[in-house]
Amino acid sequence: MHIVDGALSNPVVIGGAVAAAGGIAMGLRSLDLDRIPTAGVLSASFFVASLIHVPIGPSSVHLILNGMAGLLLGWAAFPALFVGLLLQAVFFGFGGLTVLGINTLNIALPAVLAGLVFSRLIAHGSPLQGAIWGGVGGAFAIAATTGMVAFSLALSGDAFLPAAKLVFFAHIPVMAIEAILTGFAVLLARKVKPELFVKGAVA
Amino acid sequence: MRYLAIILALSCVPVPALAHKVIAGVFESGDAIEGEIGFSNGDMASDTEVIVKGPDGAALGRILTDADGFFIYTPNAPVAHTFFANLGAGHVAEVTMPAADVARIMGVEAEPDTPPTNAPAQTVAVFSTEQQQVIARAVRDELRPLRREIAAYREQNDLQTVLGGIGYIVGLFGLGFYFAARRKLAA
Repeated sequence: MHIVDGALSNPVVIGGAVAAAGGIAMGLRSLDLDRIPTAGVLSASFFVASLIHVPIGPSSVHLILNGMAGLLLGWAAFPALFVGLLLQAVFFGFGGLTVLGINTLNIALPAVLAGLVFSRLIAHGSPLQGAIWGGVGGAFAIAATTGMVAFSLALSGDAFLPAAKLVFFAHIPVMAIEAILTGFAVLLARKVKPELFVKGAVA
Repeated sequence: MRYLAIILALSCVPVPALAHKVIAGVFESGDAIEGEIGFSNGDMASDTEVIVKGPDGAALGRILTDADGFFIYTPNAPVAHTFFANLGAGHVAEVTMPAADVARIMGVEAEPDTPPTNAPAQTVAVFSTEQQQVIARAVRDELRPLRREIAAYREQNDLQTVLGGIGYIVGLFGLGFYFAARRKLAA
């Protein structure tokens, strides 16, 4: 999921950085005092989630958790995920500093979209319905991220469809696991702290 | 917030796995360059095309890795060699061997990067060429396992690193808290 330094052409890297900066600015504006702890905890979860490996066959994939961040934070997912990615790049060497912008965009924009589309659905109805929509949102964010990764690669010269297929199919297990994880997280949150969603994650 | 704490606690369970980071290395091996390319989780890049480029970006040659991600390339020119492989899905490996190392493999002097000046003659070798080669081979063989170990060690993420990262996040968002609170107080 992390594109590494040198895989993309310069215009894509620069465009991604500009768009990510815009998203971070939007996110910071929407980040009020009450939401800072949520953003911090989600940022930390995202940072650590990449170390959790799900073995599939001979290979393995790692969790991303961007859907959950988007559902809870809306636009504020941008700064939260950016911080997570920055620290992953510095500490673990995932991705790289030059591609930080495009990676932030690829991971945070689907999160925001998931938030825009699903957060209202999650807040209404029974907790179980909310949990199901949460699961759908979690899987959607991963699917959209694979699409965006393939699109960035396509802009840099790779053929879109093979790249998209490759990334998408590799991440189907992640989608399933994140759907379950996000679903249960939403279920729990709806029961113990329903106000987390009632205000709406969309600023 | 409670469930987030639970998730975080679950996330902190030390998992000895590593993420998908591309690792690539090249070593000298006699009169050839030996290299390996793979992912940090142990998957090696098998049957991957490696493009060898010179300092000017022109392709010098192409090689395929074997099943273990190994490749061997025999250089033809004493210039910096850059080995580039596209592993798909945004993973590329790029590793460069400097001109001086390539030249040593070939047993010739490196092509100077700057236009040649009328420099005095090179220093005279104390050992004969044969002796030099024997010493070089012995040192190389001794160093190879060490190099691998260092490369593996560098990829390790231990608990300290993870906790350090979380510490940074806590600090950063604490700082955010401070500024947000000041803005609120001022208003």
